[in-house]
Amino acid sequence: MQRFILQRLLQGIVLLVLVTSIVFFVGRLTGNPVDLMLPEDATEEERQDMIERLNLDGTVMEQFQVFVTDALQGDLGTSIRYRQPVTEIFFSRLPNTLAMIPPAMILAMAMAIPLGILSALRRGGWLDRISGTIAVLGIATPNFWLGIVLIYLFSVSLGWLPSGRMGGIAHYILPTITLGTFLVAGFMRLIRSSMLEALDTEFVKLARIKGLSEFVVVWKHCLRNALIPVLSLWGVFMGGLVTGAIVTETVFAWPGIGRLTYEAVIFRDFPLLQSVIIMDAILILFINLLVDILYAYVDPRIRF
Amino acid sequence: MKMSRKLRIWAPVALALGISGPVAADQKGTLIVALDTLGGQTMDPILEGRAPHAHYQAPVYDALIGFNYKEGGLGPGVAERWERSADNMSWTFYLRKDVRWHNGDPLTAHDVKFSLERTMSKESIASRAKSLRKAVKSIEVIDDHTVRVHTKKVNIHFPAGLSRAVFQEGQLMPKKYIEEVGVEEFRKNPIGSGPWKFVKSVPGDYVEYEAVDYPHFRGTPKFKRLRILLVPEESTRVAMVRTGEVAIASISPDSIAEVEAAKLKLISVPATMQAIYGFYGTYKDSEKDNPLRDVRVREALSLAINRQEIIDHVMNGQAKMPMPFATYAYAVDTDIKRWQEWGHKALRYDPKRAKELLAEAGYPNGFDMTFANTALPGTPFMTQIGVAVSDMWSKLGVNVKLKHYEWGAFRLLLRGEQKKLTGKVSMFRTAGRPVAIARYRSAFWSGSTLARLGNKDFCDDVCQAYDKIQDQVLTEPDDAKRYEATNKMLQIVADSWQAVPILEGMGFWAVNPKEVGAFAPIPGRHEFGDVFERMPRPEQKPW
Repeated sequence: MQRFILQRLLQGIVLLVLVTSIVFFVGRLTGNPVDLMLPEDATEEERQDMIERLNLDGTVMEQFQVFVTDALQGDLGTSIRYRQPVTEIFFSRLPNTLAMIPPAMILAMAMAIPLGILSALRRGGWLDRISGTIAVLGIATPNFWLGIVLIYLFSVSLGWLPSGRMGGIAHYILPTITLGTFLVAGFMRLIRSSMLEALDTEFVKLARIKGLSEFVVVWKHCLRNALIPVLSLWGVFMGGLVTGAIVTETVFAWPGIGRLTYEAVIFRDFPLLQSVIIMDAILILFINLLVDILYAYVDPRIRF
Repeated sequence: MKMSRKLRIWAPVALALGISGPVAADQKGTLIVALDTLGGQTMDPILEGRAPHAHYQAPVYDALIGFNYKEGGLGPGVAERWERSADNMSWTFYLRKDVRWHNGDPLTAHDVKFSLERTMSKESIASRAKSLRKAVKSIEVIDDHTVRVHTKKVNIHFPAGLSRAVFQEGQLMPKKYIEEVGVEEFRKNPIGSGPWKFVKSVPGDYVEYEAVDYPHFRGTPKFKRLRILLVPEESTRVAMVRTGEVAIASISPDSIAEVEAAKLKLISVPATMQAIYGFYGTYKDSEKDNPLRDVRVREALSLAINRQEIIDHVMNGQAKMPMPFATYAYAVDTDIKRWQEWGHKALRYDPKRAKELLAEAGYPNGFDMTFANTALPGTPFMTQIGVAVSDMWSKLGVNVKLKHYEWGAFRLLLRGEQKKLTGKVSMFRTAGRPVAIARYRSAFWSGSTLARLGNKDFCDDVCQAYDKIQDQVLTEPDDAKRYEATNKMLQIVADSWQAVPILEGMGFWAVNPKEVGAFAPIPGRHEFGDVFERMPRPEQKPW
């Protein structure tokens, strides 16, 4: 296990270096942030002046050298737009994104598990077909559209819930549904397939022969095995939620790191973009490592 | 310093300048506003380079020069009047005596000197810091309420650059406070002299303020608190106004129908921008055979545009026929009546005449042309206007190759020799400013980045005439001569058809009348940073 973790950490470092380099060089192909900070009638002199003030002069390689030297000392730079250390900005927004994830995950699992099980048990029946339709709709429905429709229905028309921003429990409901809907679809289909596999195994037949109730067979024996592949998907979705809730955060004016990433791209805030990508990569690597370790505990057949 | 001739500049004094305002007991509630951007969301004026400062810094900071609240353009600020010296090489600003910082210290000429020097400092990334450094030779404190700025060259329009009507370089900062607490502490806990005190800023979320409880020359706030929220998605902003979660939200023309259907109030701030199209480098040797080199072709393209149709269908009726490039009703030294008449005649829709001109120029069957479509931040509807214009040109027989660019990518093309734009045309925009010369200089001067009339390698009679008249507009001290020169400059550019206005746009806001009373914006000023203090509560009389 220790060797496995060390291997993964080393792989992670190589991956981080690659990702950072790609983001650094590709980002600079898209333009100069001063062009977005200055008014459209700024003179070339004003432009050059600001480039020097923001330490954006020098060749790309020179800038990369400075970045790497600083990064190895833990300094990922200062945001061009906000003029604050990028790590400070990232960590100030991270809790806002993390706050949205558990409710979305809980909603997703609370809906996906029963629906997935029932679809498997009633395979081919009307419930299975309805669940399949829900799955397709969940995956196909754009987050953006869903969020706006929910706002108009529950906030504007009914006046039950706030339209956006962080706040009390009521503020979490619509973003949770928006984020969770996509997750429900993915989890439900996987649980259904895993359940169908599990229901067909020899040990389940033995359990039935032994006289165990259907409830125990399904919820204790089958589900436990069916949830193992779900763990992998959970890791993938977690990474996606942490790094990519851009649309949901934008629609609901939620000041998280998804929106921060979007702002960094739009404003060519290179230090902020690099920092966000590096931190996101670290988070995803950590989550995936955790999932792999949990996998080994959950499934005794897996050994490192 | 003797002044044999004094030029007194009195701006019309808006009603509220002498206001005595309500006391603290009369201030109630929280005014909540939703915006699409908070820029760098920094409370240090020297660290903000773009327009959002006028939303969220303006409540806290006064500017040396202010607004004409009724007609737009310049007016008294902290400087209640200013004078130019006889040799036109210095400006004396006379400050109000009753302005104080939020900690009670009086605002003096020392603060003005400190603020301007700080804005010009190496640390500053204010967008015009470089221009201010180039213009200012020295700053002299005459007494506690008089400050004199000596310029390196004659610049008749120097004070305009110190007004938020133009940009943010005139914002005033507290010398003693910053020197005592240090810059970092100032950035966390800023104080200004504006009608609102800073309370809190949550990055990426909101900025909160509290009203001062004494009379303020800009207007004493009617609300106790002000909160400016960052809500990037427009449909969410409109939803929040509809539910009353916010009182006011910035919107685009696309949301106007919904706002009106929901019986909210729509505020259209006139003359905030012009959507234009412009040509690049048509004078260069490489463009000898380019149809766009011919002024008749350029005029024909303008005559082929049905501007009223674009106003009605793209802007939902919320725009008007423009005057010449970067010219607005509040512009200084400008014959407004003449240019309004010019706009209606020269910018008319006349496809028949357009075809005649094309035929005269030798292109009766049209020609090929590349049109770069883009939209600047804050005006996304520009691309829809570009598509409409492209379609109208197609009907003229011009084979338009439309290329869409994200603004950041388009800015790259404007640099250096503009190889990818030479001989082509693009959408562009000018923002509403009371003094047009800065815009003209950056677009038409042969030494500018855009250099639409000619550059240092090629500058024909028109280009040379422009450069000469521009110098006069910048330096002529005689009002009548400068007025004449300014209008001549406008005529040279108008006759060239190199940068052609499509429409004069507005800034739009959705307002919930249950959350805020009736108020009037400052013409030409989309941002409300200098208006919040004048907004009444719903139960109060309109301002």
